[in-house]
Amino acid sequence: MIPEAALAETARILGPRGFLHSAHDLSLYEYDGSVDKHRPELVCFPRSTQDVVELVKLAARHGLPIVGRGAGTGLSGGAIPLAGGMMISFSRMNRILEIDLPNERAVVEPGVVNLDITLAVAAEGYFYAPDPSSQRACTIGGNVAENAGGPHTLAYGVTTNHVLGLEAVLLDGSVIEIGGKAPEVPGYDLTGLLTGSEGTMALVTKIIVRLMRRPEAVKTLLAIYDTADDAAETVAEITARAIIPVAVEMMDGMLLRLIEDSVHAGYPRDAGAVLLIELEGLTEAVEEQVEQIQQVCGLCRARELRVAKTPEERELLWKGRKNAFGAVGRATPHLYTQDGVVPRAEVPSTLRFIEKVAAEYRVQISNIFHAGDGNLHPIIMFDMREPGAMDRVRAAGEKILEHCIEVGGSITGEHGVGMEKKELMDKLFSPDSLDLIRRFKQLFDPECRLNPGKVLPTGRGCLEIRQRPDDLRY
Amino acid sequence: MICPDTPPLLAQSLADLRSARTTIRLGGQFTKDRIGGRLVGEGTPVSTRNLSRILRYRPNDLTISVESGVRWSDLQQELGRNGQMIPLDPPWSGGCTVGGVVAANQSGPRRRLFGTARDCVIGMTFATLEGKLVQAGGMVVKNVAGLDFGKLMIGSWGTLAALAIVNFKVFPIARGTRTFLFESASLAAAIECRDGVLKSVLQPLSVDLLNPEASAALGWNGFALAVQAAGAPPVLDRYQAALAGFRVIDCAVWDRIREFTPDFLARHPDGVVVSKSSTLTGVADAVRELPGPVVSRAGSGVSYGHATHDVAPNMEKPGGFEIMERIKRMMDPDALLNPGRLHGLL
Repeated sequence: MIPEAALAETARILGPRGFLHSAHDLSLYEYDGSVDKHRPELVCFPRSTQDVVELVKLAARHGLPIVGRGAGTGLSGGAIPLAGGMMISFSRMNRILEIDLPNERAVVEPGVVNLDITLAVAAEGYFYAPDPSSQRACTIGGNVAENAGGPHTLAYGVTTNHVLGLEAVLLDGSVIEIGGKAPEVPGYDLTGLLTGSEGTMALVTKIIVRLMRRPEAVKTLLAIYDTADDAAETVAEITARAIIPVAVEMMDGMLLRLIEDSVHAGYPRDAGAVLLIELEGLTEAVEEQVEQIQQVCGLCRARELRVAKTPEERELLWKGRKNAFGAVGRATPHLYTQDGVVPRAEVPSTLRFIEKVAAEYRVQISNIFHAGDGNLHPIIMFDMREPGAMDRVRAAGEKILEHCIEVGGSITGEHGVGMEKKELMDKLFSPDSLDLIRRFKQLFDPECRLNPGKVLPTGRGCLEIRQRPDDLRY
Repeated sequence: MICPDTPPLLAQSLADLRSARTTIRLGGQFTKDRIGGRLVGEGTPVSTRNLSRILRYRPNDLTISVESGVRWSDLQQELGRNGQMIPLDPPWSGGCTVGGVVAANQSGPRRRLFGTARDCVIGMTFATLEGKLVQAGGMVVKNVAGLDFGKLMIGSWGTLAALAIVNFKVFPIARGTRTFLFESASLAAAIECRDGVLKSVLQPLSVDLLNPEASAALGWNGFALAVQAAGAPPVLDRYQAALAGFRVIDCAVWDRIREFTPDFLARHPDGVVVSKSSTLTGVADAVRELPGPVVSRAGSGVSYGHATHDVAPNMEKPGGFEIMERIKRMMDPDALLNPGRLHGLL
């Protein structure tokens, strides 16, 4: 329970409409895009860095845990307030503060929606590169916390490669400004350290991002295969031939049929898999690469290759990919998306492994991969009301991630460890490595009040939060 | 000099020296002693040069894992056999080690297109003064598991820990390159020319600006803007058509531009390099204000001036300095590692 005094102080800082604390309102903030949930005790909507500072000091006085939240689209439980307490929602800190095209930078508040940066500079021919699938909803603050990726990060890099500086509020209420518009700042790269720290070390209140010049030409191709193996082989061959598309997305047959049922993107219902390949750059460079890709696809037994000729056709090819999760959602009461990564050469064998896991654990799995960088999103479809289903789903998910570790990959490519994968961290990292993570966490957050219970396995994180959050109330 | 030949031995050496409260002069081949701030005191030299194995290279996967003492040129040569490269082109590239390039965050002209070590290191293992080996990242190109200690180590100049293993993503070597040069008596005209290139749809590898003193050393006149493009012949022809007012020159010049600072320091025993990081619009001022011959990564915002005598670096305390100090104290409580490096900042 939040003490009455704390509520009164919150009202003084944010005004009567600047926070929520009724049970009904709080229930809207107990989940994110993952399968877990836990209710906060107070949700605050600061409008400025100063508001955040006041809230952090208030939380310190009352010993409240704090969790930052963007749009709640995260898939690893990063924004779930495991220990209750104060949630700081950045939805009202959503201004683009500065667009500086001559210096290829923008300065934004954390609540700015990812796509809105690109929309703000598109007319001048610029864009912001990281493009998570949720980019119409997710916020830059959340992207920084999780170091978000997206289809086009294959060529352009993930969030950390595009964040040059941060303003952040530390747990003692101090404000730091790190990095900057200029490329090099003396001392240690704190911006790089905080990006991807999953909201466990500081609350980011301002972000300096890189803007890029939009390429002259874009070509989008859809290659259709009878078997997923042939599609996976194409990916390996593209990599081997030194072609670097900006995106190589793979969808398997089950997913294609679900997408067709839902959005009618024109994907073939009887295919084993498709690849969605995008090339960008100077016209001459793109034309040459399209020719090479056509050769590779033929060699790898693609039965059909469609090349978008107009922006409308391109939109149609992407429509299915961008609506994939929605399409799966129509077909199953619940879905659970994994985020494993494997070395690119291991994509075909991993696909076969996932098929075996699905059979073994009696779950349906459809696959959507950022195949070009080996980042897999198997979507496990299930009905949580069926007794034992959730356990089987978790076990299947864990099995897949263990496989990713075994072949030299990682348990998360772009969603973050959060709470769902933290128990796998000690299979990926040595005890000494985890210990250093813990000590850095402690350096920033000695009382372990900022997003507790995330990233580190139980028993290796904050000592006071030992209990496993098992109350998955659905 | 202590030259451990395995990562665990490196960690053990650090732990031993720490127990003895010995100041440690940490490096690979120590090529960069004259930049980044001089070491304070003597220090026991610890070199990673015998950590010289390429651990895993999968050309089809475009990744490589190497020990930190591998020579940079050997690494690039190995990759080159498969038509691949790491796109960084650091100075001292003939003699320096992988660990040195990463610890000192060295890059070169290709930075405009490919960025820095920040953008191509995908994982690492480092040895702490406690004698532990810590991993960060891994061998896949996309990975957000755990804290990104790699970013912290890049550019830390060996003041926090010793790099033992570095993993990179690698890139195909371009089919060809072509270099274009624009010379002008006026800095403003050269900057305007650069702005035209940066605002266009061209995506050059390199955009470097040299002041008259630097350009004279390469046989050019006035302010010189050198632009490098990569790709197949039709792509290079396109650049040539778009860059009217430029002339095509030999690409070999990039070796000299890359090695400008090492060459200068070799000629001037008391010389120093003074670097300035700025926004793109700040490049003109940097080129004007820096001493001696100036080479500017004008498409990125880092400029290097060269003075024949010592110049005190302007080391303003960066934002978050107190946190940096706490990190330093946590990793190296007795300030034993490379004291004075990072310009004595930490």
